[in-house]
Amino acid sequence: MNHENANLTFRRFQIVPMVCCGIVFLSLGMCILSSATAMAGYIPVLAGLSGMAALLWPAIAWIRTLSRLERLERNLAKGQPGLSISRSGGIASILARQCVESLRNFQAQTEQSGQRQNDLSLKLQLLEKQKQSIEQIIHTIRDAVVVVDGFDRIVLANSAAEQIFGFSARSSLARTVGEAIDHPEFVASMCHIRQSKLPHLKHELTVKAGDHLHVYDCIFSCIRDEKQEIAGVVAILHDITREKEISQMKNDFVSHVSHELKTPLASINAYAEMLVDGEAQDEQAIHQFCSIIQSQALRLNRLIEDILNISRIESGLIKVDKQNLSMALLMRDAVEMITSYAQEKNITIHTPPAILYDQVHADKDMISQVIINLLSNAVKYTPQGGSVSIESQVNEADGVIRVSVIDTGVGIPPEAVDHVFDKFYRVEQNKKVAKGTGLGLNLVKQIVETVHGGRVFVASEVGKGSTFGFEIPLAAGQQITAKA
Amino acid sequence: MADKKVLVVDDEIHIVQVVAIKLRNNGYQVFTAENGAEALELAGREKPDVIISDFQMPVMTGLELAENLRKHSETADIPVVMLTARGFAIDDTQRETLRIAACLSKPFSPREVLQCIEEVISHSTAA
Repeated sequence: MNHENANLTFRRFQIVPMVCCGIVFLSLGMCILSSATAMAGYIPVLAGLSGMAALLWPAIAWIRTLSRLERLERNLAKGQPGLSISRSGGIASILARQCVESLRNFQAQTEQSGQRQNDLSLKLQLLEKQKQSIEQIIHTIRDAVVVVDGFDRIVLANSAAEQIFGFSARSSLARTVGEAIDHPEFVASMCHIRQSKLPHLKHELTVKAGDHLHVYDCIFSCIRDEKQEIAGVVAILHDITREKEISQMKNDFVSHVSHELKTPLASINAYAEMLVDGEAQDEQAIHQFCSIIQSQALRLNRLIEDILNISRIESGLIKVDKQNLSMALLMRDAVEMITSYAQEKNITIHTPPAILYDQVHADKDMISQVIINLLSNAVKYTPQGGSVSIESQVNEADGVIRVSVIDTGVGIPPEAVDHVFDKFYRVEQNKKVAKGTGLGLNLVKQIVETVHGGRVFVASEVGKGSTFGFEIPLAAGQQITAKA
Repeated sequence: MADKKVLVVDDEIHIVQVVAIKLRNNGYQVFTAENGAEALELAGREKPDVIISDFQMPVMTGLELAENLRKHSETADIPVVMLTARGFAIDDTQRETLRIAACLSKPFSPREVLQCIEEVISHSTAA
């Protein structure tokens, strides 16, 4: 481009000497003609020669200047702009100097322009990288992001959004959100915030994913341009399904615990009031009322202990006192404790002959609690006249003892079996059979697995009964001899 | 009050017992049941003037008991007083539809129960 401009300039300057030369030759011709025809002596000839000289000098100066300009052009092309122009001389020199000055300015501007172009190119590359980086970040985040323009057309949607709504963002670009996303509630919210021009809109959205319903906390925000006009809408969807489940479990827990706590409390309060009001009519009645108050206070304490024990085990703050114990003795003691409860329901508890040498290294109170919880659950969910049995097996190969509690109770539906050890979980179908907080089996699991490094198991069939049990390691160095 | 009959329903034997003693000491004839099915049978047979029932019971909840009572003409008009640890669980529509005369929250006072029973009986007698 620079050289083409320079050439154009030279071509313009070349016209001037050509005209000058033409005038010179015309003057010379006229002089010769006047000399020859008029024979008037040398005066016209001198006049013609002087005219020629006057006109030739600028022409020659132009030619020299052009020659220098050509050299200048060549030097410019080679990147050597330095060229001295004679300061003396006439119009041609002045024009030439101006021309060189212009060329220098032009060259400087060209260099600056080139530099700016390079800078812009670098900035453009930087911006492109930043854009890619931001897009990468948006695509990577777990929350779904959907952006539409002022006409509800998809501008951007990240991978999470594609997954939630089951659409392809790439093939949906420039399509409206209603065309791309098959979720009328979401689409309506997006359109609503744009039309209402609210800065933000919070909305809870339920989306079906396969057989599961997911709940999302959606925040829609308007994007405004420099004139504060709505340029689009950005929607961010955060999955709160788990939080909802936990919240529901907490509510259920509070509800159950509230009932469980209030029932013994109601008894304590009512019998205490009866004593105060003199409603106990004899010593026997007074004694009975006091006994009930005491037993209900103990029941309340057990419930609170269960809650605290789970909390302590989970936080690792529980004090564990492990020692070598006979599992058979622990089982026998637990059966003795639960017998009166079983007798109330006319349920028989079967205990096979004890296994000798079944020592475990365990916390006595905790393992007793495990066996009592399993036995009381078995009795609780077994109808009148049913049976419950407890047995143990030593597995020499794995170095564990396995304790099983088998009942002929209501059983557990297959879909609920995997959840029975979850905290606060209660089998929906069995809620009416017996009361509970959903804490007993979770405490069993925590004691067996977290404190003793064992495992719990369950097998059940609706209407036939359940087998709950656990395995914990035998005491180290135990000489195992299993006897029936 | 010797001619007035009250049916007390709760799976918590101690609750049933304390309410029964309080009411008997004050001249009521009291029947007790441990669950809804037993209560339905007793209600049909004895036709009590009022039923006081726990809300959360196995086999049949207090609300289900009330629903079943309304289905049979001989028990349809018996007022029910609900004992509950969840005061918020029964809304006004349910109370009206199932004709639940009153709700008492656990832990309750036997004096409060007695007073409530007296009011419900006098109200239903006046009606």
